[in-house]
Amino acid sequence: MAEKFHTELKNLKTDTLEMAHLGRSMLRTAVDALIRQDTELAASVVAQKEEIHQMEVRIEEHCYRLIALNQPMAKDMRTIACTLKVITASLRLGRYGKSIAGIVNDLSTKPHLANMMSIPHMADLVLDMVDDAIKAYETDNLRLIDDFSSRDDTIDALRHSIFREGITYMMEDPKNISRCTHYIMVARYLERCADHACKIAENVQYMETGERVEIH
Amino acid sequence: MSDAAIITTNNVNLWYHEKHALQSVSIRVPRNRVTALIGPSGCGKSTLLRCFNRLNDLIDHVKITGEIKLDDENIHAPSTDVVTLRKKVGMVFQKPNPFPKSIYENVAYGPRVHGIRDKTELDRIVEDSLRHAAIWDEVKERLNDSALGLSGGQQQRLCIARTLAVEPEVILMDEPCSALDPIATAKIENLIERLKEDYTVIIVTHNMQQAARVSDYTGFMYLGKLIECGKTGQIFEHPKEELTENYITGRFG
Repeated sequence: MAEKFHTELKNLKTDTLEMAHLGRSMLRTAVDALIRQDTELAASVVAQKEEIHQMEVRIEEHCYRLIALNQPMAKDMRTIACTLKVITASLRLGRYGKSIAGIVNDLSTKPHLANMMSIPHMADLVLDMVDDAIKAYETDNLRLIDDFSSRDDTIDALRHSIFREGITYMMEDPKNISRCTHYIMVARYLERCADHACKIAENVQYMETGERVEIH
Repeated sequence: MSDAAIITTNNVNLWYHEKHALQSVSIRVPRNRVTALIGPSGCGKSTLLRCFNRLNDLIDHVKITGEIKLDDENIHAPSTDVVTLRKKVGMVFQKPNPFPKSIYENVAYGPRVHGIRDKTELDRIVEDSLRHAAIWDEVKERLNDSALGLSGGQQQRLCIARTLAVEPEVILMDEPCSALDPIATAKIENLIERLKEDYTVIIVTHNMQQAARVSDYTGFMYLGKLIECGKTGQIFEHPKEELTENYITGRFG
């Protein structure tokens, strides 16, 4: 029975990784669509909303079924607890991707202002964090996430910088207000995505060691 | 373990003939708490349990070294009276084993052995013990019926009442629910929770979920050694030892 359960646990992790990669891909694609002002690409992200939602429901139900039927303990229990958090974070990544994709239309009529300030760079850093968090969940390698606190500080600083720069452009010319407000929102979404990467990292740490950590 | 200990063992070793069944076991059993001993078959958990009231003395070719203290007194000291020790440390076995007597006589037997003859006093002890064992309401109208007519779960609670009747300090339970159905098991588990208000309970169980449900502390044994002992939440959420982790997640055993 234990063997069957552990096979199911492996399958659960595989499904969760698939979902995490989908959430990550929605975010990456949305940022690319925004940078390239590609409305078709943006529409493809919006279309994936239902798919990722269904994946979350299916994996969540699988977790509850495994708990009810096997009463897992120790690392098995922690893996399922972590998985429940990873799918929530993955869904949020996908949803922020969809939110960014949703504003591509508004930002596709005119060239970008100031090369979108630091948004492309910030997006790369956030996606690196997401990749490392997912990889840590997959491989149990905690070294990938041990510098998340300082990486998250960098993301927070970039968001603040984009906010200030956006305000400056808005004060210079009120015609910039609409675009800069969108940029500031995108920076906010990316910062939240980094927070979700940190949430995944915190839960991977718990899954591996049983210790609760808080990454600020 | 921060709770005050009622039983402590220090470096206990036990041999059955050549078989080294307990190897350097040192454990503290906290007072008024439930301590569970888990581990695969043959790991020594029942043997350790039987050390606490010297039941192993009844087996030939057993050799024990090390120290076992109850209330700071060495239970192997020449001054220790084994009958008194077993009064202080009662035991409930895997299979209910009521005497082929009435329900009343089963509970009154122990106090009588210890010299209580007064009928009113015996009536009080029998009622108190049956109430404590959560079976009074089911048997109060038929105290003179044979105990063998009770269901398995009722017989087990009667055996617990019989143990309580001599006012022990510690109750040892060796797989007390393994012969019972889930409803009878739930009643015994609820009872264990209430018993710890007045007694210290040490339970041996194969059922890890049961250990997790009923105990405050859990000790994991493997091949005669106590591998790890700690608060139940810690043992089942994040055990320190890899062997414990592998056992409770079903990777061996």
